[in-house]
Amino acid sequence: MALAGADPLAGFAALLHGALGGTHQISETLVQTTSLLFPSLAVAFAFRAGLFNIGAEGQLVIGGLCAGLLGAWLTLPGWLAIPLILAAGALGGGLWGGIAGTLRARFAGNEVIATLMLNIIAGLFANYLVVGPLRAPDAAGAETAELPESSWLPALVPDTRLSIALVFGLALAALLAFVFRRTVFGYSLRAAGDAPEAARRAGIDLARTAFVAMTLSGAIAGFGGATIVAGVLHRFNVALSPGYGFIAIAVALVGGLDPLWIVAASFAFGILQSGSLTMQALAHVPKDVVTFVEGLAILGLATRRIVATRSAPA
Amino acid sequence: MALVLVKATPLVFAALAGVVCERAGILNIALEGALTAGAFAAVAVSYATGSPLLGLAAGVLAGMLVCGLLGLAATRFGVDQIVAGTGINLLAAGGTAFGLVVVFGQPGASPEVNALGKTGEVALALAAFFCAFALQALLDRTPWGLRLRACGENPQAVRSAGLDPRRIRLLATIAGGALAGLGGVFLALGELDIYSDGMTAGRGFIALAAVIFGRWTPLGAAAAALAFGALSALQFVLQRAGVPSELMQALPYLAALAALTGLAGRARAPAADGVPY
Repeated sequence: MALAGADPLAGFAALLHGALGGTHQISETLVQTTSLLFPSLAVAFAFRAGLFNIGAEGQLVIGGLCAGLLGAWLTLPGWLAIPLILAAGALGGGLWGGIAGTLRARFAGNEVIATLMLNIIAGLFANYLVVGPLRAPDAAGAETAELPESSWLPALVPDTRLSIALVFGLALAALLAFVFRRTVFGYSLRAAGDAPEAARRAGIDLARTAFVAMTLSGAIAGFGGATIVAGVLHRFNVALSPGYGFIAIAVALVGGLDPLWIVAASFAFGILQSGSLTMQALAHVPKDVVTFVEGLAILGLATRRIVATRSAPA
Repeated sequence: MALVLVKATPLVFAALAGVVCERAGILNIALEGALTAGAFAAVAVSYATGSPLLGLAAGVLAGMLVCGLLGLAATRFGVDQIVAGTGINLLAAGGTAFGLVVVFGQPGASPEVNALGKTGEVALALAAFFCAFALQALLDRTPWGLRLRACGENPQAVRSAGLDPRRIRLLATIAGGALAGLGGVFLALGELDIYSDGMTAGRGFIALAAVIFGRWTPLGAAAAALAFGALSALQFVLQRAGVPSELMQALPYLAALAALTGLAGRARAPAADGVPY
């Protein structure tokens, strides 16, 4: 910050003010927290199974796209429409993750490359649909038509953009923590990640595990995309994500791949995300500093070797 | 044809960088970051000194620095290559956007600076293809090449032969970084004379696709990069004929996915590609 000729303390103060300075700021921070929580859980889920899903970004976008298209088209009462919209998001994200999972399981294709390519394809595909054939006639930007108000996720705090998606996210984190610690399925996932050879000898089908883990990971990210559409924007926009899927990798690592710690890490990164604009406006510190810090966090934290050693494709 | 070369040259440089790293066993996701840093450093130094040649040197150095950071993280600090690469890409994106404000006092894009001109542009394009042939010979026909390839196939064997695979991997990433830096220099000072945010536009990832499609050989990767360059040059023509530009842009990535299935002939990655040692 000092480099940019701004007072670091003032910058930091502005960041905190922008993130936590009032009801509005806090609710926006929690909106960011929610948006980060889903892809972060998705990344952690795959990492635990020894799979490098760096495609949460693409899965989130496809999930949001499916949710936005279905949501704008549906005219059902909210109690029926909202679950359908969220399910569409999970389905879309799961499908996108499943492509990478299939490549890995059937063809021993590197999931890193696959998810990386799928991220870009997802962005281009969404862009094509939303700029081209599916653009809402009245839309200002590249976005689909607005969801009917009955299909919006109910707000958690009145007059803010904070929706009950936060509750879903917390519930999902608790569920995943339970699955990892207490279920056979969670154990076999971790075994496949930590000691693939031992897992294989113990009768765990590594290819199948890889496919299932990638699909579920994608579904979690896609669900997250759907909550942004149904809870925050109320339509699909190509600028849906400022890189949540990539920041999620930092969040997942900071949280030590533990679902409950990831909740805390998402909040910390939510503060950075929502405070950075205020920091730029008030203290003239470019908001990109935050991206830089996130990169540093990934590099620094990964040195703690919390990520299981990579294994050759099954 | 000229446009094809202009579009292909940075891809060729980046794809060659990818080949060097992957054959040594480092899956270099940070190519995008190296291109960005190379382009930015080249423009910043040309702006400060007025000399595009110094800018070129700075771009190469920046690429070496970025990839060297990945190499260090992966070989000395035991950081996973993929995680480190993702982090470095964020560092480069954030750092250059921030750097624009620091160096030029304006966000988004730099002012115009002294560029390499037509001669420089042609020279760099020729250099890219020369590098492809030179690298192929280096990898196939020299002891260095053999050692480097051994690090990508079986680092334990390299260790047994009394060499240090970590050192070789580190040197390979730094050498790759120089190539990627040149790609960035070409973008900023060859094709254009400015730096703007996001100007690399995913070329680092297209390069990774080219590496796979070129089956991890320098000449193959360069040919794939040339083909992808031709695609992007054709984009404007085909767009007028009604082909969606997004489809054209997506083709390299779709091709890479298809190559991953191995259906179009068996493409095999180096055995220890991306595996830590």
